[in-house]
Amino acid sequence: MTIADAAFELPTELAIDTDIARRVIKDFVGGQLRQAGFDRAVLGLSGGIDSALVAYLVAEAIGAERLLCVLMPYRTSSPASQDDADEVVGLLGCQSELVEITPMVDGFYGPHSDASTLRQGNFMARMRMSVLYDRSVTWGGLVVGTGNKTESLIGYTTIFGDSACAFNPVGDLYKSQVRQLAAAIGVPDRIIRKAPSADLWPGQTDEAEAGFSYPELDRLLFWRIDKRRSVDEVVAMGFSRELVERIDQMVAGAEFKRQVPPIAKLGPRTAGVDYLYPRRRPGSARR
Amino acid sequence: MDTVRVALAQVAPGLGQLEANLERHHVLMGEAREAGANLVVFPELGLTGYLLQDLASEVAMRLDDPRLADLAATTGEMSAVVSFVEESADHRLFIAAALLEDGEIRHVHRKLFLPTYGLFDERRFFAPGDLLRAVPSRLGVGIGIGVCEDFWHLNVPQLLALDGAQILINVSSSPGRDLAATNEVGLGTATSWRTLMRTYAQLTTSFVIFCNRVGVDESISFWGGSEVIAPTGAPVFSAPLYDEGLFMVDIPLADIRRERIGLPLLRDERPELQVRELSRIIAERAGLAADSTSERGAAPGLDIAPGDRTPHSTKQDAAAAGEMAER
Repeated sequence: MTIADAAFELPTELAIDTDIARRVIKDFVGGQLRQAGFDRAVLGLSGGIDSALVAYLVAEAIGAERLLCVLMPYRTSSPASQDDADEVVGLLGCQSELVEITPMVDGFYGPHSDASTLRQGNFMARMRMSVLYDRSVTWGGLVVGTGNKTESLIGYTTIFGDSACAFNPVGDLYKSQVRQLAAAIGVPDRIIRKAPSADLWPGQTDEAEAGFSYPELDRLLFWRIDKRRSVDEVVAMGFSRELVERIDQMVAGAEFKRQVPPIAKLGPRTAGVDYLYPRRRPGSARR
Repeated sequence: MDTVRVALAQVAPGLGQLEANLERHHVLMGEAREAGANLVVFPELGLTGYLLQDLASEVAMRLDDPRLADLAATTGEMSAVVSFVEESADHRLFIAAALLEDGEIRHVHRKLFLPTYGLFDERRFFAPGDLLRAVPSRLGVGIGIGVCEDFWHLNVPQLLALDGAQILINVSSSPGRDLAATNEVGLGTATSWRTLMRTYAQLTTSFVIFCNRVGVDESISFWGGSEVIAPTGAPVFSAPLYDEGLFMVDIPLADIRRERIGLPLLRDERPELQVRELSRIIAERAGLAADSTSERGAAPGLDIAPGDRTPHSTKQDAAAAGEMAER
């Protein structure tokens, strides 16, 4: 069962009230910045739907003039991605900057590297993170995360790379819900419609690489995690046992990416264990 | 008093910012008084913010704290319900809601049920209260106060009504979650609360005043949607979701009498029946009496008999499986 829509497939059980989502996220973004003593934000804009949606949401929350979008292509990145990113910048009227990461990446690996695409992809993500945190200082804004719930759960993300941020407004939205919210807020149709890609090489797509479709994966994750259904129960709903077991393994295997690294407990009070303060406590604002 | 003008202070407290929140309370109480309010209600932990964790002890106040006395002194002709972290003389911390009247603290309700599941971790930081009392008020009718989770337990509104409350007040810091588009108001939490509060109003034939905060603490957003519900169960007023505001609602007290005469549910309650059955259940759970609903052969206080766990096992099988005492 799906809600028919021209641009994307949205499983019925995943459909959200986008007005409320926008309102919650607006207050969340404003609150995170205000409590930290900032009124500006910076994010990496890839040309894909996740970062485009976050750019729209941040602009809605604090005004486009307070947002800096940094475009950080590598030499193999698709030119179409940059066109899409440029279009978002133009439509929003926010500040933008182009920072090529090719010299950084090739400078480390050398021109004829035999490093795997995994290593290179992770390195690129971490170079982009470094650029964003540098621009966080020069722009005077917090780094906004753009990772969605689906990729966080299955671990399709680089730890200390694209997952690094001061806060994330869309990290509790599945990919299908990102599409729904993007359509509601006015992200250009072409960006919503195109196949999601890490854009590491021409023609790469998430779904071809992983072997499943986002609507199917989102539904499975929703029933397994949000609705606490057992393996047998989701198999009875029609999911293949092989897929369920494989996804379960990916989710468990990515637990480390979603959590703050553990500290060996030695002293009387240990951060995150028995020293528990809100991030935004009185006196925590940096400026 | 024929009509009570209620001021719902749907505020967004600063997390851990006790002084700023106190100031805001003073300002809003002034506005409520000027608008002719008889009763002003602030949300759960409106003076401190919700997600305090280890800040709880740092913002805690004893009941003799001069800042509470200052707040009480400003009530004038009004009644006010305010909520804060209370530190007892023996240094337990409670989530408290106080009724302020005639310049003093008339009544303190300590939150009874501390949710420690899902996104909640209250029992780690707070002690649960042990008393539930309806109290007379200068409004002319009894008042019963509960804090958030207290009203997710059926017996709380019922006990308050049986104890004489005609206005039930729930102050909350309810985090909004579940945005499924199929929800009545686009938010699962709001749908649940509305259903519960309207049901309580009807079953206790009392006014229910629900005051929920707005704003953001860390990851969680509070959804507001404060309501006043008539003794018929019909909503009299629904505040907007997520917007801060001071909302005035007039409630005619004659509605309580009319409903209780027409639908005498409260008259017909059987508290003695409840006590009798509860006494039995408590004794059975403690293993002090034979449990009429457990399997044959179960040890005292346990519902499940050892042995064959197949769903179709007969009583004979269960009895044969153990050497447990016959009842």
